[in-house]
Amino acid sequence: MKKFFALTLVLLLGISVLGLAQGKIAMVLDVGGRGDLSFNDMGFAGADRAAEEFGLELTEVQSASAADYLPNFRNLARTGQFDLIIGVGFLLGDALGTVAAEFPEQKFAIIDVDWIVGPNIINFVFRENEMSALIGALAGMAAADAGFAATGVVLGIPIPVLYHFEAGYRFGQDWGLKKYEELTGNAADVAMLYTYTGTFDDIALGKAASEAMLAQGSVGIYNVAGPLGTGDHEAIVEFHDNAGTTYGPPFYFGVDANQDYFGQGQHALASGMKRVDVAVYSAVKSVIEGTFEAGVTSLGLAEGGVGISKRADLDAAIEFGVAAGVVEDTQSARNLIVANWTSNRATVPTWIWQAVDELEAGILDGSIVVSNANNDEEIEAVRAEFPLD
Amino acid sequence: MSDEHAARNSEMFLRAEKITKVYSDGTVALKEASVEIRSHEIIGLLGENGAGKTTFTKILSGLLPPTSGRVISPAGPVRFSSPREALDFGIGMVHQHFALVGTFTAAENVALSYARPFSRIQLAKTIEQLEALMEESGLGVPLDVPVEKLAVGEQQRVEILKVLSRNVDLLILDEPTSVLTPLEVDELFNLLRRLRDAGKSIILITHKLKEVQDVTNRIIVLRQGELVGDVQTASATTEQLAQMMVGQAIEAEAGAVELSDEELPASRTLKAVNRTVDSILQVENLTIRGNTGEIAVDDISFEIHGGEIFGIAGVEGNGQTELVESLTGLRVPDSGTATINGTNILGVDPRQIYRLGVAHIPEDRWELGLVLPFTLAENAILGVHRWEQFRGALSVLKWGRINQHVKQLMERFEIRAAGPGAPAKSLSGGNQQKLIVGRELAKNPDIIVASQPTRGLDIGSAYYIRQTLLDMREKGRAILLVSADLDEVLAHADRVAIMFEGRFMEVCSPADLTRERVGMLMGGVTEAKETA
Amino acid sequence: MSPQEAQRKSRLLRGIHRTVTGLHPALESLMAAVVGLLVGAILMKIWGFKPWEAYRALIQGAYGGGYELSNTLAWATPLILTALTFSMCLRAGMFNIGAEGQMYMGALAAVCIAYFVLPPGIHHLVGLLFAATAGALWSLVPAALKLLRGVSEVISTIMFNWIARWLGLYLTLNILVDPIRSEKSVSIPTSARLPVLVEGTSLSYGIFVSVAFALVIYFLLWHTATGYELRAAGLNPTAARYGGIRNKRTMFLSFILGGMAAGLAGATIMMGMPPTYAAFGGFPQMLNMGFNGMAVAMVGRNHPIGIIIAAIFFGGLSSGGGWMQILAGVPLEMVNVVMGAIVLTMSIPELIRVFPAIKNGTYKLIRSLRDGKGKAVEEGST
Repeated sequence: MKKFFALTLVLLLGISVLGLAQGKIAMVLDVGGRGDLSFNDMGFAGADRAAEEFGLELTEVQSASAADYLPNFRNLARTGQFDLIIGVGFLLGDALGTVAAEFPEQKFAIIDVDWIVGPNIINFVFRENEMSALIGALAGMAAADAGFAATGVVLGIPIPVLYHFEAGYRFGQDWGLKKYEELTGNAADVAMLYTYTGTFDDIALGKAASEAMLAQGSVGIYNVAGPLGTGDHEAIVEFHDNAGTTYGPPFYFGVDANQDYFGQGQHALASGMKRVDVAVYSAVKSVIEGTFEAGVTSLGLAEGGVGISKRADLDAAIEFGVAAGVVEDTQSARNLIVANWTSNRATVPTWIWQAVDELEAGILDGSIVVSNANNDEEIEAVRAEFPLD
Repeated sequence: MSDEHAARNSEMFLRAEKITKVYSDGTVALKEASVEIRSHEIIGLLGENGAGKTTFTKILSGLLPPTSGRVISPAGPVRFSSPREALDFGIGMVHQHFALVGTFTAAENVALSYARPFSRIQLAKTIEQLEALMEESGLGVPLDVPVEKLAVGEQQRVEILKVLSRNVDLLILDEPTSVLTPLEVDELFNLLRRLRDAGKSIILITHKLKEVQDVTNRIIVLRQGELVGDVQTASATTEQLAQMMVGQAIEAEAGAVELSDEELPASRTLKAVNRTVDSILQVENLTIRGNTGEIAVDDISFEIHGGEIFGIAGVEGNGQTELVESLTGLRVPDSGTATINGTNILGVDPRQIYRLGVAHIPEDRWELGLVLPFTLAENAILGVHRWEQFRGALSVLKWGRINQHVKQLMERFEIRAAGPGAPAKSLSGGNQQKLIVGRELAKNPDIIVASQPTRGLDIGSAYYIRQTLLDMREKGRAILLVSADLDEVLAHADRVAIMFEGRFMEVCSPADLTRERVGMLMGGVTEAKETA
Repeated sequence: MSPQEAQRKSRLLRGIHRTVTGLHPALESLMAAVVGLLVGAILMKIWGFKPWEAYRALIQGAYGGGYELSNTLAWATPLILTALTFSMCLRAGMFNIGAEGQMYMGALAAVCIAYFVLPPGIHHLVGLLFAATAGALWSLVPAALKLLRGVSEVISTIMFNWIARWLGLYLTLNILVDPIRSEKSVSIPTSARLPVLVEGTSLSYGIFVSVAFALVIYFLLWHTATGYELRAAGLNPTAARYGGIRNKRTMFLSFILGGMAAGLAGATIMMGMPPTYAAFGGFPQMLNMGFNGMAVAMVGRNHPIGIIIAAIFFGGLSSGGGWMQILAGVPLEMVNVVMGAIVLTMSIPELIRVFPAIKNGTYKLIRSLRDGKGKAVEEGST
């Protein structure tokens, strides 16, 4: 009996010692939370990968309301147990900034926020305008080539981050249309339809907005509202079902995560990838390796922080879908997506893909500078420069 | 007349044997009533309020089980556990207030009693059946109009059709003429005669003597739960019926006995002494509409003097409620005038009316008189809560004063309660009524409008409240006493008006009235000896 | 059955009834809370979480110390006010489901004071006044619809919540928008922010606004003729009319006061909740606070003092819920399920009290349709 007791004690101690040896990281999410197949899930993917690789314990705290943000950060910081507290999303910026000032010894990381800085905060922002320019160019040229009157963008709440997308997209579409005229000699008259739905969670609203744009002859829908993409994609699937078409326009353009696997890859032409996972992972890594350096890191095409999805990215995207439970975990399901994806892409002429590559190269070598906007005034300026109506 | 023909073919349809009904609160509604119901027969069921008419028909139509006794059909005893069962057996009832869905058409309302009312087949079948039935009975009703758009008489026909469509043998009608115009009454009676000739049995509940004598073959009279008469219509005089209905003399039961025997002469003498010359309440040509727009009070005029009790007797529903409501600010009359000490009170807010010296003891103490979840103290200031003695600056209530006031009321009016903080619903009915009376008299009124002030009270409380009213008369106050309790009115009023269909049939001293006469007047008959 | 027998039986029934219903409200609530916690524990057990640990995190996180208690009170601040909105109108016999929208309008009005420069103190007062007025005005429309056109206040207030939400979104992102950060409205300046009461927590002077308003309502309802009329009209409109009370006026008043409370709730969030002091599109900081107020009102027995206590209890659930995630690893979804179970069981006693009134009313209606005169028949048949 005694022996047994001692054994148990040793075991328990052993486990708790192991537990103590482990580092701990915490992640605070806004009201959206897990399961958006986009922004938040990308953040989780990064944290999960880091936790696994470095043997860390990950505590995730979801917010029931925006009033939760501040107490959530405070509660976590007060425990003093966490090596890093990560805030995923711009909405958390103010709360994280306040708590970071109260707990100077605690390290923080924040995604999508550059206006809150501190000696213990590492900020990651993305140059979403760069990858949106690629999507805009692709959509614009595809529309002109297939004789569509417009391209469509469904956005969420009008916030600076989303202005990055819009500005880049406008620049890109304009660039693409000019490219089209230059290469074919034909005039390209393709408008840009866009809607700020004012929501990041009303999927039905995304679908309704998409349907309206498709009815007006849009070549596709670029989802710039995270979870609303499911609704956007549904509208496109229904459009194809009604028209009896399998591949080709209208297309779905994914966002944040690589969403090319949506609908077995049948209609998702490309995704504007924003590697939130990379940001989160590198923040954790810097803390573990002792290289944590406060300040704003901007991730663009050059840093691999954003990009347009390519064949090489597809397998990882499919695995992401499998992990999320939206793709069947069989080889045949995987093969089907790849086959569909390839057939769908083939409906867009090669010269368009080459033009997109050319734009990407130009941005990378600095010869092309994509427009950007951080506030109302700047986005108005961009809209004036590229009216696209 | 086909009466003899009817009588010849008459056979027993149902027999109620020694039906007794005791309600759970101990009231005896029916005492061993035995009645035989035959085919080819219209039976008039006469009785005052509370005589047991409703209970009797409810038991027949399956809405209530009897406490003892049984109902026998030629095939043996029957027992209904629901109106549906009674209907299946062949007994249907048309209630005074119709059970119709206003937005449905007549056909849809009738179809409702079938299993799948709105299947197209069922609806078509119902319409077909109704058309045949209308042809047969001579009842005309538009079938495709929502019933709420129909006149009241037509709605009643829908109700009758609804019951007839179930092929009933016994049709019970509860006060069917109260909502009809004279022409519609004639039509209804013709229909009833035709149905009788076709072999149906009909029970007609009413308090209108003339109607009973017009249309029935046989008359059953109930009084205080007892069957006091079962006569052939042809052999009964109006006086006999009236007498059976209201009883021989003041019955020895309610605390009224001691009161009436001793107080009656005394009060009469008091009247002479105390009656002030000036009239306090003056009502002229008052016409009031009821809830459904019908004329409820029809051009009446009267006055009440100080030191006088003016009683209004009559069967309930003849306009008394509307009259009281108009005089106390709860209902705006159509035309006419009413003044208290020369000041108009019609269409005036109750709060102002109380200021003018009116106290109102309402007929429904739970709905009108009290806020039951409120405490004694809170109830004691209802209506006077803005008076200076209870309310200070910024409309702050002076609870100290109020509680003191309640304690005084409790003492003076013998209200037995745990204290001013006890909820009114915890009080017994008698104490609740005493609370209302106390509150109203504390207003120091010139006139007291008392509507059914002793209804449902125990003997002691009823006696106390009557005594209090007599006290107030002695002090020179004017009192309007409206009561369905005939004895109460006759024993206490200095002058009494008998109300029937919104009019005063007669206004005189109770001493000048015989009971038979009162009974006839209540039944709407002015001249005696109108027998068939 | 002889009368004596019947009497004896009814006395026994009354005795049982009194034993059950005579339970002290506090004791009753406590029992309900225990049942709710038990249900929550069972649910957590089924899904493989540790109830004991979770509840320890909850209680410690809610009431474990000054910091925790402060956060709890911070949560309670707007809840007290939105609960008053609901209970105020219920006392007058109306179902005002519109606290949510009225709160939004109050919040927007509070944000508007960012455009004035005023000395502190006055600036605060102006903000609160603005918010209270906006909330009251927003509640007036459904009230007017009810009183003039007979539109059900339940339906109209719910619809007005949506109108307020989308109107608020428009105003926040287009009219009141922060020129530098377009996702939010302008921030309320320091001169109008309700100061933080306990440093390092979210608790602000707003709690005094809430509690003071609750006390004012208490005084109004039980110590003034106006409040007396309001309660009488709510409990028995017919008797109130008999008592010379103008029911329409009391209804109107209850809506105005309720709207003011909801508007103030919006103000305490905008002016008193760190860190941003600004409205975001869709009002994520106060989403559902108006609806939660209804549950608080139920648990608090529609009594201002009860509501303060209930709001502190609810605030504890909200602030402790976060700790359940951190210390016990219970995900938010499970936390919400457990909270739901507790809130539901705690609301039941008052729900039963409120809804029999409705049930009885329906029953009365059916009975009057069925046997004609309703009550009169019942009495007439004796």
